[in-house]
Amino acid sequence: MAAKQKLMSVRRDWRERDVRVVLVALVIAVATVATIALFANQLQRTLVSSASSFLAADRQLEAENGRPVPQAWIEEARDRGLETGQMIEFSTMVLGESEFQLVSVKAVSDEYPLRGEIEIQPTADATRHMVGSGPGRGELWVNPRLLRLLELDIGDTLEVGNLELTITSLLLREPDGGFRLSSLAPRVMIHVDDVPQTGVIQDGSRAEYVYLFAGADNILDDYFQWLEPQLEPSHKWESVRDGETFSRSLERAERFLLLGGSLAVLLAAVAVAVASRQYALSQRDTVALLKTLGLSSKGIGGLYLRRLALWGIAGALGGLLVALPLFWILVRLLSDVLEQPVDFYLDPAALVPALLTALVSLFAFAYPPIRRLRHVAAMRVLRSQPGETGREAIPDIIIAIVAVFALVWLYAGEIALVVSLLGGLVLLLAVLALLGGLMVAALRRVRGGGNAWRLALVGLYRHRQASMAQMAVFAMTLMLAATLILVRTSLLDDWQSQLPDNAPNHFLINIAPDAVDEVEAFWSDRGAPLDSVYPMVRGRLTELNDQPVQEAVSKDERVGALNRELNLTWMAELPADNEIVAGAWFAQGDTEGVSVEAELAERLGLVMGDRLTFTIGSETVTEPITSIRTVQWDSMQPNFYMAFPPGGGLANMPGTWITSFHLDESNKIALNEFSRRFPTVSVLEIDHIIERIQQIVRQVTQAIEAILALILAAAFVVMAAVVSATLKDRQREGALLRTLGGQQSLLARSTMLEFAILGFFAGILGIIAAEAAVYALQARMFEGNFNWHWQVMLPIPFISALLLALFGRWQLRPVLNVSPMLLLRRLE
Amino acid sequence: MNQMTDLSTTDTSPMLRVTNLTHRVGLEIDTLTILQGVSLEINRGESVAIVGRSGSGKTTLLGLLAGLDTPTEGTVSLDGAQISSLSEDERARLRASRVGFVFQSFQLLPALSALENVMLPLELAGMEAPEVRAKELLERVGLGERLNHTPRQLSGGEQQRVAIARAFASDPVILFADEPTGNLDNRTGQDVSDLLMELNREQGTTLVMVTHDEHLAARCGRQLHIEAGILTEPELARERAN
Repeated sequence: MAAKQKLMSVRRDWRERDVRVVLVALVIAVATVATIALFANQLQRTLVSSASSFLAADRQLEAENGRPVPQAWIEEARDRGLETGQMIEFSTMVLGESEFQLVSVKAVSDEYPLRGEIEIQPTADATRHMVGSGPGRGELWVNPRLLRLLELDIGDTLEVGNLELTITSLLLREPDGGFRLSSLAPRVMIHVDDVPQTGVIQDGSRAEYVYLFAGADNILDDYFQWLEPQLEPSHKWESVRDGETFSRSLERAERFLLLGGSLAVLLAAVAVAVASRQYALSQRDTVALLKTLGLSSKGIGGLYLRRLALWGIAGALGGLLVALPLFWILVRLLSDVLEQPVDFYLDPAALVPALLTALVSLFAFAYPPIRRLRHVAAMRVLRSQPGETGREAIPDIIIAIVAVFALVWLYAGEIALVVSLLGGLVLLLAVLALLGGLMVAALRRVRGGGNAWRLALVGLYRHRQASMAQMAVFAMTLMLAATLILVRTSLLDDWQSQLPDNAPNHFLINIAPDAVDEVEAFWSDRGAPLDSVYPMVRGRLTELNDQPVQEAVSKDERVGALNRELNLTWMAELPADNEIVAGAWFAQGDTEGVSVEAELAERLGLVMGDRLTFTIGSETVTEPITSIRTVQWDSMQPNFYMAFPPGGGLANMPGTWITSFHLDESNKIALNEFSRRFPTVSVLEIDHIIERIQQIVRQVTQAIEAILALILAAAFVVMAAVVSATLKDRQREGALLRTLGGQQSLLARSTMLEFAILGFFAGILGIIAAEAAVYALQARMFEGNFNWHWQVMLPIPFISALLLALFGRWQLRPVLNVSPMLLLRRLE
Repeated sequence: MNQMTDLSTTDTSPMLRVTNLTHRVGLEIDTLTILQGVSLEINRGESVAIVGRSGSGKTTLLGLLAGLDTPTEGTVSLDGAQISSLSEDERARLRASRVGFVFQSFQLLPALSALENVMLPLELAGMEAPEVRAKELLERVGLGERLNHTPRQLSGGEQQRVAIARAFASDPVILFADEPTGNLDNRTGQDVSDLLMELNREQGTTLVMVTHDEHLAARCGRQLHIEAGILTEPELARERAN
C-alpha cells in the first residue's frame, strides 16, 4: 500500500517533467484568469466610481422645467437607504466693482458631491486642494477668471440677486463639470439654502433642479423602477453609462479585459492538453506494469483520477498564490496612475471563473488521454506495443474544443467573441492543412544532409506529424497573442486619435459674424490658432414632409432634439471626422438640401429626400435631405445635427459663430484679455474634463498592458510545453546523431533552423488567423474600423522564429554538453 | 567503398593502440575507478571480443575506444589519430568517417522508418542520394521488404539488423558492438551474429565487440577478459607462460 501511496504523491509527480508542465500550465491558467477577473472587477468599480464623479453621484435626476420635483420622491429615495443631494443651476447677472457680468450659479446642498471632490484654492497663494463639500451658507466660491473680470479679491463680497455673499475661495474644478448651456458664463458656487434669499428664481425662471443619488446599484435600479412611471418628459434620469463621452472607452476596455481573460483560458487549456497527453503517453509502461502486478482497469482509473484531483487542488492553490500578489501590484499601479489611493475590491465571486477554468482544463483536457490509460495492455511489459495513433485522440479534441468554447462563452458572455475566435481557429486549421500538405510535398524532395539546412528540412519531413501538430499549437498560440496585441493597438490608437494631446479644450460661442476675423487673429497671435469656425443658427425642426413633426413622428420616438432648438450650420467641406452614410455631400455651388446626422435620422425615421422644415425666429426654411452623415460626438469639435450648404437655406438667417481650439494651461491667462476685448463671446472651458478622460484612458491603458504581459507569459508557457513534449525524442536523436559522428555545431544549427522554420510558418499562419479574428471582433465588439496591421504583424513570424530557434537550442543543451556515451546510457 | 583491407595490405600499423588507460568517475562520497592501466593493440582486420561480467567496465572501455568519452588518464589512438587529444567535434568527424556502432538496445529512432534510420549516418556524412546505399544495405541484411516500417513494427532481431545495416552504411574501418545479441533469444542472436561476422568479413572491417556470451566471443579471432577494470588476454598470458 505504501508503494501505491508513493505513486500518488504530488511531490513525486513534480519530479516528472510532464507533470510539472501540467501543473505550471494550471497555475498560470488559474493565476491569469483570477488576476484578470479580480482586476477587471476592480477596474470597473474604480472607473465607475471615478466616472460617477462626473455626475457627482451615481445617478442624477434633472428637472429641466424649472420646478423642483415632489419632495416625496426624495424621501422615498432616503427611505430606501440612498444618499441624496440637491443642486440648482441658473444664470444671473452679478455686479462687481464697476461692471455687470453674467455668471452661471450652481447652488449645492451640504451633501454635494456624493461622488468625487471639489478642487479649490482658499487664497491666491495657497495650494490647491480637494474638498468633499461645497461652500457653507453666506459663502461664495468663484471661478478665478470672474475675480479678474470683476477686479475682486478673496474676502470681498458679491451680490447675487438680493443677497450679499462673501467670496471665500477660488473654485478650480468641480467633479461634474459637464457641458451645460448655463455653464457658458463663469461659474459661481453657493449653498442651496441661500437661493431663496437671492430672489433670483421666480416661477418660470430658467433654472435647472438637479437631484443626486448614490447607493448600491440594485437599490438605485429598484428606485428608478418605482420612479419611472411618475417622471414627466422634462425629467431626465442620468446614470454614468448613459452617453458620457468616455463610456464607450470604458465599455471597450471591459471587453478587452474579457477578451484577454478568454484568451488566457484558451492558452492554458492548450498547455494542459498538450502536457497531459504527453504525460499519459509516458505512463503507459507504468500502467502495463501495474496491470501485470494485478491492478484492475478500474483501480488504475481511480488511481489517475485521484492524481488529477490532487493536481487540480495544487494548481488552484498555486494559481491563487500567484494571482493575489499580482493583483495587489496591479492595484498599486492603478493607484499610481490615478494619483490617488484605490481601495481593494477583492470579490470572491471573481475567483469562480478561475477555479472553473482549472476544473474544465483538467477534466476536459487532461482526463481523456489519461482515462485511456486503462486500456493499455499488460502485454506491453513484455513486448513493445504499438502506441496511440492520432485517431484515438480525435474525440478528445472535439470534447476539448466544445468545453473550451463553452468556458469562453460562460466567461465572456459574448457569442460574437466565441464565434470570432472559433472562426479564426477554423481558418487557421484549414490554412495549416493546405500549407502542411504543400510543405510535406516540397520537403519530400529534400534528400541527404551534411549541411544544417538540409538536415533541418529532412528533420521536419521525418517528424512531419509532430511538426504539423507543433505548428498548429504554435500558430494558435501566436494567433491568440497577436489578436490581443492587435486589439490593444487599435484600441489605444483609437483613444489616442480621439483625444490627442492637442485636443481642443476650449469652445468659443456667440462670436458675432463681424468679429470672426478679429477673434481668429487674437488667438493665432497668441500661438493658439482656432480650428474651423462654424456659423451657428438656432432653429426648431417643425415639419416633416409638410406635416407637423410631432404628428409625423410616433410618440415613443419623440426625441429631445424635437423639444428644443437645434444648432444648425452651413459648411462647404465635410468635417474630417464626419462620414457620409447615404446620399452625397454638397457639391461646389449647391444651395439646396440639408445633411442630417445619422442617429437622429434613424430615431426620427428620416430617409433621403424627406423634406424638413425648420422655424428660425419668425422665418421658415424647407429643404430636402440630400445626405446622412455620422458625427463623432466625442471629438471635442463643434458638431451639428443639421448642416446646410453655404448660400443655402440658412443664407440670410441671423446667427453667430462657434469654434473650438486647444489652449495650454500656461496660456490660460489670455482668456481674461479675450473676455475684456470680446465681452459678448462666451468661453466654454472643458480642459478639466479632457484631462479627466485622458487620465482614465491612461489607467485603462496600463491595465491593458499588464494583462497583455500576462497573456504573453501564458503563450510562452504553451510553446514551452509543446516543445518539451518532444524533448526526450529530440535528445535521443541528438545523442545518436552525435554518436554517429554529427558535430555539435551542425546539430545545434540544424535544430535551430528546424525550429526557426516551424516558428516562421506558425507565425505567418497565426497572423493570418489573427487578422481574421480581429476583423470579426473589431466589427462586432469594438465598433472600430478594420485596418490591416502589417507594421504590427510583420515582425511576429520573425520573432517567433527567433524565439523558437533559441528555445530549441536551449533544449538541446544537455545533448551538446555531455559525452554521447553518458547520454545514451541516460536515455536507455 | 568495399575496399578489402585484410592483413595482407601494406599498412601494418595497429588500428587501435591503447596505452595505460585509466578511467575514474566521481561519486558523491569518493571516486570509483572503472578501468585501471589498460594497454592494448588491435590490428587492422582483427576481430576482438572483450568478455566480462556485468559491471566489469567493458562497456566503458568500448566507449573510450570509440571516442564516445575521454579517459581520465592514458591515450587511445584510432587509425593513427590520438583521440584523447581531439576536440569533441574532431572526434565526431572521426566517428562519422571511420567508426560504426551496434548497440545492445539497438538505438533506432522510433519516429523514423528502417530506411531513414540507415540513411542517418550517410546524411551526416553529406552523401548525395543516401537512400540508394541505405536500400542496398537493408536488402543485404534481408529487410528489403520492410524499408518503410518503423522500429515499433519490427521484431527485436529485425531491429538489430537495421542497426547493423546502419553501422556498415558509412563504410567504417572499425566497428564497435556492445552486446549485440544481449537483447535477443538464442536463435535470433545466432542469426544476428552470423550477419555481423559475414558483413565484417566482406567489408574487411576491424571488429571490437563487448559481450558476456562466451560462444559469441569464441567466433572472434581474439578474446580479451576484463574484470574489475583490469584487462587480461588469456592466450597472451599462456604464450608468455610458455
